Amino acid sequence: MSIAALNIRKSFGNYTALSGVDLNVPSGKLVALLGPSGSGKTTLLRIIAGLEQADPGSGRIQFHGEDVTDVPPVKRGVGFVFQHYALFRHMTVFDNVAFGLKVRRSRDRPSKAEIAERVNKLLKLVQLEELAHRFASQLSGGQRQRVALARALAIEPKVLLLDEPFGALDAKVRKELRRWLRRLHEEVHLTTVFVTHDQEEALEIADQVVIMNQAKVEQVGTPQEVYDHPASPFVYQFLGNVNVFREESLALAGNGAYFRPGALVAGGLVYVRPHDVEVIPHEAGMDGIPAILRYVHAAGPQARLTLEQVQTRELVEAEISRVELERMRLTVNDLVLLRLRQTRSFEQDYAI
Amino acid sequence: MAAGTISRLDSPLVRPVRRATQDRWWVRALLLTVALGFLGLFLIVPLVAVFVEAFRKGAAAYFAAFAESDARAAIKLTLLATGISVPLNLVFGVAASWAITKFSFPGKSLLITLIDLPFAVSPVISGLIYVLMFGAQGWFGPWLIEHDYKIIFAVPGIVLATTFVTFPFVARELIPLMQAQGSEEEQAAITLGANGWQTFWRVTVPNIKWGLFYGVILCNARAMGEFGAVSVVSGHIRGETNTLPLHVEILYNEYNYAAAFAVASLLALLALVTLFLKSFVEWQHARSRREPSSSS
Repeated sequence: MSIAALNIRKSFGNYTALSGVDLNVPSGKLVALLGPSGSGKTTLLRIIAGLEQADPGSGRIQFHGEDVTDVPPVKRGVGFVFQHYALFRHMTVFDNVAFGLKVRRSRDRPSKAEIAERVNKLLKLVQLEELAHRFASQLSGGQRQRVALARALAIEPKVLLLDEPFGALDAKVRKELRRWLRRLHEEVHLTTVFVTHDQEEALEIADQVVIMNQAKVEQVGTPQEVYDHPASPFVYQFLGNVNVFREESLALAGNGAYFRPGALVAGGLVYVRPHDVEVIPHEAGMDGIPAILRYVHAAGPQARLTLEQVQTRELVEAEISRVELERMRLTVNDLVLLRLRQTRSFEQDYAI
Repeated sequence: MAAGTISRLDSPLVRPVRRATQDRWWVRALLLTVALGFLGLFLIVPLVAVFVEAFRKGAAAYFAAFAESDARAAIKLTLLATGISVPLNLVFGVAASWAITKFSFPGKSLLITLIDLPFAVSPVISGLIYVLMFGAQGWFGPWLIEHDYKIIFAVPGIVLATTFVTFPFVARELIPLMQAQGSEEEQAAITLGANGWQTFWRVTVPNIKWGLFYGVILCNARAMGEFGAVSVVSGHIRGETNTLPLHVEILYNEYNYAAAFAVASLLALLALVTLFLKSFVEWQHARSRREPSSSS
């Protein structure tokens, strides 16, 4: 079941949450809506679910080509997982999951035995069979998340929508759960959209990433596409650390042999990821941007270096392996040369 | 000698450390005495006095006070007024809290303020408002007389006054509770396919039941005990428009102390039952928060 949102606008009073957003989610894909807080991603998700209405006169929502814009959320058949799970606190895990089946009209309602069978199957899927008779308050965050997911899946939704599904969990549980969600997606193949502000999360598990900023979609693509070919400075910076060089400063440093620019525009800015900055010891006659090593942060597998360009006094972040760092025997205040492996520049002049 | 040395060495350590928030013993004693003394003098002693006075002429006289037809009529009327006003306020309270906590609409803060009005206004004024509106000289008076409807000095007036005075109780209990709970669970129920009615009964009501029950108990106690507003609109017709509190007053004014206190003891008993239920509900509520009971 594919999802399409066409030209969706939404404002709350004077605040514009979405200004003409288009979204296409192909059937059976896992799509991440990624953006900083306030970018409109949750609002878009809630509009898809029908929990929020787009501004009158603005676009349409379609499920599998069928217009559902005016269909109330009760009838849309979406599984929605709330950021804080919204489990029914007076019900057991079992009753939470069974809720969507129990409230069906009597002619569509499965028998008690069928409901029990289905709920148990779902609890098995989310690995919570033993906790069926616990209450939400007796579960950990990760367990609550899985109950919320099982509850949403119980109604056999056409699409699954998750609002910051791992936002409230600690780092370790978060990593485990997102891999688990990916595996689950491969099992059930339900068209799934999840909202996140964590680029690592989006890049790791999504088939397609939709990057949003200031009520607009900035870029859509596979994780690799958006990471390797960011469409805008915003995307470039949002998806990871980045160094910004003014082109003049690079020109000043030499003839450009030590960096391979993309399509360079005069007066533009050049973006380089820290791991694309090559650091070599300074030797006379070698090409490179001269810089002084100012700080070494070496906790973890990669060493993060802060360097100061000699000509411009601007700071550059570089990431090199610990092995390489030790091989070069660099210490703070050494003179080095920088070479840029992969750069990117954008046409517009952005103020950073 | 040895013991002395030890005690001297230890004394700075053994001396109990006074926390910043812990008062000196005499401050605590004084505060406790004042609080308990006040409670005893103004609450316990009068309460005991009610029962002592009620039974002064023996149990037979006590029960005779209820056998009298006027007393029975007063009990019936009180139950009737309460039986109408409490359910009305229950519906109003739930509707108002729902509206206030789940939607935003113009005039919301005005509604919140107005709910408190009966608390702010003297009950006598509340009664007078109805006299001014429905009394013979009131706005609707001539029309009512023409169509032979009686509101003031009749049962409808008493019900109206009781309802007015008691309408904040349920709403005041529910609004903070529902505000704290938010509407995410209701939204979840809707996405799971529950209609409005199912969402209300299966999700909202179980979440607010203890607050609701608490509000109803308080509302009920006040409805049965209301004197001022009811006194203004009742007209004190014996056997017809006298509620229990008004009946107590009449008996007392007739120097029929034993009967007056006997009826008063009934109201006092009601207060005690209310207090007991209130503590029970609070205990249940606290327990259901700690560890949700399986009662649902």
